[in-house]
This record gives sequence, structure tokens and C-alpha cells, in this order.
Amino acid sequence: MMNNIDKPTSPTGSDTQQAAFDAWQQNYDALIGEDAPVKNRSGIEVQPLYWPGSDPDGDYGDKLGFPGADPMTRGIYPTMHRGRTWSQRQLIGLGRPVDFNARIKKILASGASALSIIPCNSVYRGIDCDEVEPEILGTCGTIINTEEDMDICLADIPIDEISIGLNDPSPFTMLAQMLVVAEKRGIDWKKVTGTSNQSDYISHFVANHMFYRLSLQGARRVQLDTAAYLAEHVPNWNAFSIVGQHMQQAGATPAQAMGLTLSTAIQYAEDCKARGMDPEKFLERFTFFFDISISFFEEVAKFRAGRRIWNNLVTERFGVTNPRAKRFKFHAQTSGCDLTRQQPLNNIARVTVQAMAGILGGLQSMHTDGYDEVLSTPTEDSAKIAVSTQNILKHEAHLCDVIDPLGGSYYVESLTDAMEAEILDVIAQIDAEGGMFKAVESGFVQQLIGASALEFQDQVDSGEQIVVGVNAFAEDEDASARPTLKRPPKEHMEQQVERLKQNKAARDTDALTQALEGLRKAAQSEDTNIFAAEIDAVRAGATLGEIVKVLRDELGFGQPLVVA
Amino acid sequence: MIEVLLAPARVLVTKIGLDGHDRGSRIIAAYLRDAGMEVIYTNPWQAIDAVVALALEEDVDVIGISSLATDHLLVPKLMVALDAAGLGHVRVVVGGIVPDEDEADLLSAGVSKVFHPGAVREEIVSVVEQLAIAANNERPVD
Amino acid sequence: MSAVQDQAAEKSGLAVRLLAGQTAALARAISIVDRDGQAVSALLKAIEPHLGRAIVVGFTGPPGAGKSTLVNAFIAEMRGRGKTVAVAAVDPSSPITGGAVLGDRIRMAEHTMDPGVFIRSLASRGHLGGLSASAARVADLMDAAGFDVIVLETVGAGQSEVEMAEMADVRIVVSAPGLGDDVQAIKAGILEIADILVVNKSDLPLAKRTVGQLQAMLALRAPGDWKVPVLTTNAVDRTGLCDLADAVDRRAAARKMKGPRNALGGRTRRLLAQSVAKYAEHRVLNEANATIDAVVADLQQAEIGLDDAIEKILMQLCESQKNG
Repeated sequence: MMNNIDKPTSPTGSDTQQAAFDAWQQNYDALIGEDAPVKNRSGIEVQPLYWPGSDPDGDYGDKLGFPGADPMTRGIYPTMHRGRTWSQRQLIGLGRPVDFNARIKKILASGASALSIIPCNSVYRGIDCDEVEPEILGTCGTIINTEEDMDICLADIPIDEISIGLNDPSPFTMLAQMLVVAEKRGIDWKKVTGTSNQSDYISHFVANHMFYRLSLQGARRVQLDTAAYLAEHVPNWNAFSIVGQHMQQAGATPAQAMGLTLSTAIQYAEDCKARGMDPEKFLERFTFFFDISISFFEEVAKFRAGRRIWNNLVTERFGVTNPRAKRFKFHAQTSGCDLTRQQPLNNIARVTVQAMAGILGGLQSMHTDGYDEVLSTPTEDSAKIAVSTQNILKHEAHLCDVIDPLGGSYYVESLTDAMEAEILDVIAQIDAEGGMFKAVESGFVQQLIGASALEFQDQVDSGEQIVVGVNAFAEDEDASARPTLKRPPKEHMEQQVERLKQNKAARDTDALTQALEGLRKAAQSEDTNIFAAEIDAVRAGATLGEIVKVLRDELGFGQPLVVA
Repeated sequence: MIEVLLAPARVLVTKIGLDGHDRGSRIIAAYLRDAGMEVIYTNPWQAIDAVVALALEEDVDVIGISSLATDHLLVPKLMVALDAAGLGHVRVVVGGIVPDEDEADLLSAGVSKVFHPGAVREEIVSVVEQLAIAANNERPVD
Repeated sequence: MSAVQDQAAEKSGLAVRLLAGQTAALARAISIVDRDGQAVSALLKAIEPHLGRAIVVGFTGPPGAGKSTLVNAFIAEMRGRGKTVAVAAVDPSSPITGGAVLGDRIRMAEHTMDPGVFIRSLASRGHLGGLSASAARVADLMDAAGFDVIVLETVGAGQSEVEMAEMADVRIVVSAPGLGDDVQAIKAGILEIADILVVNKSDLPLAKRTVGQLQAMLALRAPGDWKVPVLTTNAVDRTGLCDLADAVDRRAAARKMKGPRNALGGRTRRLLAQSVAKYAEHRVLNEANATIDAVVADLQQAEIGLDDAIEKILMQLCESQKNG
């Protein structure tokens, strides 16, 4: 659906202003020559100029308000980045836990204030390292199969002082392992802060099958059990991170990604409410995770519209009055999809623009990609540049001095309104399908995203969308000059596998069997909390693979709906 | 030697290893379908043995492996397994994120072509068509 | 495959290896019959004496009913009973490009490594019956290769699914509650040919209502010697599969066909009619032929009626075929 930002027909302010606009329009038309309409990724047509006449009836109070108050368009906190800048939350993961620990310490020393742990793909698949082909172990993330692995990862890291993002899909074994580690260190769980970054099983089912381990229904059960457990025992942990990144990276337009994400949030909120949880409380623990594409103004508008819509949505649909429950808190990651393999140093410029969009869009936490993202997991050098980029924007470009600095721009306000309309339309479509859960079960969402992906690809293929170095401004490149893929040494992986085997052998088998039986029974019954049973299993030394296997047996294996 | 296929080319599009991102393979499937080919499309995380079994049952001409991360490192094993199963005539292409030094290894293991991000539709379709013809010409006479 | 290779297939041991149950031979033979090459008749002759063992079960129904997931569960149930299963899953070819994305076997992934299960994805290749033109021959090949149960999974809903009726021993029509128009999605034609009606996704609240509607429609059907059961299944947790398999066994016992399915009179006649129509259509639309042009002009001016026009065209096609 296209949203045309029409030229104003009614005179605004003064007739002289309108006349001046008309004069400009005439000159423009006469001089511009060929002027094809411009549409952004969400399909919204963008005019050459915006001015007060673009929104003659706009009301500041209704549409914008002030930061930290309804409708939140300008920011969720009164102080925003001037008071507290976003968390630099760089994804880290490589090889063995001990290597990971070394990397964390370096990153923290260089100014990052929060962590985001990314495990090996084998962990995502729910398999222990001793069951994986050795060539592909540990190349994209850290191997974390046991509580001991987690302990080594976080050696000397004060869990009660640093916010930790866990890229940890259902059934959240990494969280269970971390809590047991905290317990052993004598840390009060009430002091543990962070986010379950991949608790959004619906987004995995739809758009990132790698993270998808349990059946759709099974994942729903585990998510709700876990949220309930955390609300009681780890109250400062964000159980919900609703992810727009996967869908946007799978090809959804920015407006679709936001619309689908909000629809997912509505679904989870309804599920929690049906479970007897209080929206005023659990909505405080809802956070979001978005992709930032290089379509600069579109992304800024997307985030501003998202904030406004969420604020209105929770008020209307859930009757929420607690202001903390209306806050659209989000982490964002610069989009790897916009980066190129050709002339990779150009990606530094791309990431800078994406990061700016995120900052000016008012994010709370950010990860910036390394320029070699498309070639390998980032090298140390590229990771450093990624962090420096954020620091330069903060300290040298002074992007934090003013809250919502693009607010009031005629274009940005117009575009925010237009994005809002597109996003609300997507939400309405999902409502018509019976909600997000049904819409993904039937394949509706997957088809929507697939169509957008194909459309974008056509635009790149045809040259309509230029990608520098790829379909324009291309050069013959010396392949040997490209940075090489860093892989963990084979011996390290062998060590890790050996270590796991020893670890398994050293366990108290009775206690373990009992704990896994307890987990099985929890999954079979409706009334026992699965996450509680999982923590017991971790205490008894159960590995990721063992836990996932039991839950897959009882709850079903996640076979995503692949829409061909 | 035939120059033109008598029936639509049959191409298996699949993923091996651990990765599950399938935006690329869906686009490739659409390209090939629009070019008149029959695409057998599977879910990700196929074991090597499974890919061989699929190729056998479906009597495919070409196998397209979509790879992010390091899953392409398993492709040489696939090449060996295909040979052992009497499917040496089946052509294999790999698309996705493949570092240059690995590309050379894949080609010497028998992979016909490695497509990198930025590869265009016309090239992909044309290469796959040619490979399907070659596969048909080399299919062992029964 | 070249003509040379085709002849070689004729003389060689392809048929022999297929009859011995070799997977590669079956796969290759299917490709050959699917492409309708010269080797077909020899191959089919070679396997003819070995036909009639397998039960052919057809699954049809509207999109969204969960056919593929149900077939997957059905395969598991059959395997549990010690039967080998071969599946021909048909997806539509694009009428414009001729290509197809064949994704049915995604839902049957669990059986990939089972040597007792053979799954083949087929494109309809312009054939309009709901299957492919080769489907009957493919079923025969699978029969000859020794499979106990052959499953035909068709494209979707519509009167064209009647084609399955001629080929299958047991015809199963699958629906699911809440598919928009509920049972409207199952056209009367399909209902006539169904041996077993299945309401899948039985966990959904409207399932009971759908069952009721189907039973009401069945009551209007002319009674025969077989009472069509309306079964409920949940293909995901496998409820109702046992009953379904039992019903299939019972029906097959009463009805099993012997001999080659591709030789069935009605089907061959229909195939021939379609091929002739296609031939005529192609020539009338594409050929540069002054006589045809004249007939078109006359028809436009209403100088002649449609019936006459058809006769003239047919005569022209025969004559120019003879002379050409």
C-alpha cells in the first residue's frame, strides 16, 4: 500500500507563504527535467521538498509531545542520550569460552558498557559440540554447552554490574547456565540485569530458522513458563526481546518489519495476559530488537513511528497506565544485508550512516557491524573500528547533545506519519488473520516477506537500486587484499570437545538422570514450570544438547514452515 | 551431445551444516523457476547423506548449496559422497558467503561454480542451464 | 537424454534393476516416463507382468488443509506397520515459464533416509488433471519396484482432481476447519469420488462443525456398497492416523485394481483428447496460415457460424498436416 504525501491544497499560515511555495514548485518543475517519482523501501513516495504546508493541521501535542510522555514520539525518557547514551552492546563470540572471555575483557576496556554473547551455530541448533562436524565448530560464535563453559566465558566479569544480552533462543539454556553461575558466585538474582535477546520464537519460525529449535506450540509454552519464572525470581531481567531484525533481514520492508514486530508483541502480551500476568508489570520487561538499514530517514521515521504506535497500542489494547510499561525500549543492529563483499572498506561508511539513523531514531542499545561482516566473523581490527564509529558519533559529531534533533523537520515528521500509516496497515492485516501466531502458522507472513524480498532483489538486479561496487562503480579487485576468514585453530576445537567429554564423565549420573526426568515430567504436565526444571537440570550438570533433546522429545522438534 | 534439454532441468536447492538463513535460496529458487526449471526445495540442515539420497531419488541435474558462515567447508565431503553414490555427473554450485581462499578449494574438489553476493540473475540462470545440459550429457547410460 | 541413450535404456538392464528394487533405477525410469521419451513403451512392457501388488492411495484437497503433513504422518503409520511406501508429490508448473518450485517433500523430511520410503517430486508440466501426465506410469513403476503402498499427492482442490479417481484404489479428500468457505472448498465433484473424508487439524474448534457439514453432504450422495467415513486427524501429533490407515486397508481390499493404471480406458481417452486440443490450439494460435486467417475473419464478420468454423479449421489442419 502506497502512502502519498500530497501537496497541501489549503493555504497555510499566510497566503504569501503558499504563493511562495507555488512559485518554487513552478521553478522546480521547469528546471528539473526528468523527474521520476522516488519511493523508499517501504513503498512510500518521497517528495522533493517538505514545508509547513506539508502538514497544515499537525498538532505538536497530539503527534509529538515531549520525551518521556505520551505519545513518546520524541523519545522514551525525558533525558534520552544527553542523560544516558545508548549501551554499546557489541556481539561477541568466537571459539572456546576462554577465548571469548579474553575478547570480552578487551571490548569492555575499550569503552563498551554492555555485553551481547553470541554462541556457535551448533548451540543454536541445540547440539553439543561432540556431535558436530569439526570443520564448522566455533566459527561464528562461542561454544557454550555447560554451566562450566558459561563460568569461563564470564570469568572476572561482574554479572551483577554489567547488562548482559544473551542470544539464546528457546529453551534459554544460556540463561539457565548463567543464573546457576551467578548462584554459585553468591550473586543475588535480583541484581542480574540483561535481556533474553532471542526469546521471540515467532520471528525465528518466520525468518531465522537457525534459531528455531522447538515446535511452535512448544516454544510458546517454554516462553511463558520462563517469563513467569523470571518475573518472580529475576525481576530485573528482560524476558522478552521482540525481534524485527530477522524479518527485515529476510526481506521485509522497514514498515513491514516494524508492523510485524509490533503484532508479535501484541500476541505475546495477550499470551501473558491469558496466563494471568499483569500487563502493567510484564510490559515493563518488553524490549525490542531492530535492524537498521541504510535508508537513513526511513529508519529514523520507522523508530519514531514505532514509539508512538506502541505507546498508543498498549494504552488502547491493554489499558496500561504505568508509564514504564509504555516505553518502547529497543536495541538495534546495523544491517549486514546492506554491506558488500566488493570494496569492503566502503562498509565503514555504510555502518556510520546506519548507526546515525539508529542514534537519531532514539535507540537504547546498539551493535555496529565490522566492515568485513560479509567476509567472515569480524576480526579484532574491524570490531575496534565498529566501536570507534560509535564513539566518534557520540563525542566528535555530538549526536547526543540534543534530544530528537530531527524532530520538527518537515520531512521527518511527514515521513513518520506516513510510516505510521503503513505500519498500522500491516498490524491490521495481521489482526485480520487472527493474530500473529495464526498468521505465521498459515504462512501468510512468510509469503508477505518473501514477496518483498523478491521485489528488492529485482530492484538491485535491474539497477534501479544502486549498490556501490556491486551494480555500479565496480572495480576489478585484488582478492588477496581482502581480509581472510578467522577460524579457531583445530586443536582448540578438539580441546573443547575433549573437555566436554570429560565434563560429562565426571557427573553424578543419578542426580543427572533424576533432573532430566524432572524436566521431562515438567514438559509433559501443564502445571510444572519448565524453566525451573531446566535450572535444576543445569545444576545437576545437564548439557545444552541433553536439555534440548528432552524438550524436543516432549514438545516437538522445530520444523519451520518453509514456504517455497 | 545434446544442446538443449528435452525436459525442464531439475535442480535441488538446499542447505547443509548449521546455518538456517534462507533468504538467498528462496530467491534463487524463484530465479530458476522463472527460467523454466524445476526446483526441488528443501529445509535447511540437511546431512550430507540426505543430500545424496535426495539427489538420487529426484534424479536431479544440478545441486545448489546455499551457504552462510562456514557450512561450505562441508561441500568437499558432499562431492566425495556423490561420486561414491554414482552421481558424479550431477553438477554442484555453491552460493553465499565464501572467502576467496576457500573458493579455490571448492573448485578443486569438483564444485562447478561459486556465486558470491552480488551475482546477477542472468548469470546464475545461464550457468545453471549450461550445467544441467552438461549433467545430462554425462549421465551414465543405463 | 539423447535418442541413443533412450534406446540403450530399452535394451539394457534398467527394467531389470528397477524390478530388483534399485532406487537409482526407479528414479531414472521416472525421469524417462516423465519426459515421455522413446524408451517408454519398452520399459512399460517389461514391467507389466509385475504390476498389481501395490495399493495406490490418492490424497487431494484444498491448499491449507495440511495434506503434505498428513501424508507425512500416513507414511510413518504405514512404516510402523511394516509397509514400504513410495510417494509421487505433484506441484503445479508455472503456465508462463514452465518452471516449478517443488516443496511438498519439505514436510516429509523425516523419511529421507529411510530406505523403505521413496519420494519423488513431480511438476504438473501443463497437465490439468491435478497430477502430471506421467503420474499413472510413475505409479506403475513404483508398483513394479516393489513398494507396498503408493501415495499420490495432488495439486489442490478443484473438479480436476477427479483424475485421481481413475488411478487410485483409495481416494482420500482432506479438508480442514476454517478454510474460508469450509466445505465449499471441496467441490461436489471431489465429494463424489471420495472413499474417505478426512478433517485434519482436528484440534481446531470448528472441526466438529466441519465433520457435521461433510456428513450432511454425504447423505445426499447416492448410496453404494461402501460407506464413506468422515475421520478426524491431527497430522502434527498423529491422532487419528491409525483409524485412517485401517480405513485405507479396508477400502483397498474391496477395490484394488490389477494391471497397469496407465492403460485405463477413460484416462487414456482423456489424455488423448487433451493432447489433440493442445495441438489444435497451438496451430490455430501460432501458425501463419491464410486459410485459418480467412476462417477467423469470416467468423468475426458473422459470415459463418461457430460450428462451421470449427469444421473448416479441422479440415484445414488435416490437409496442411498431410501436405506439410
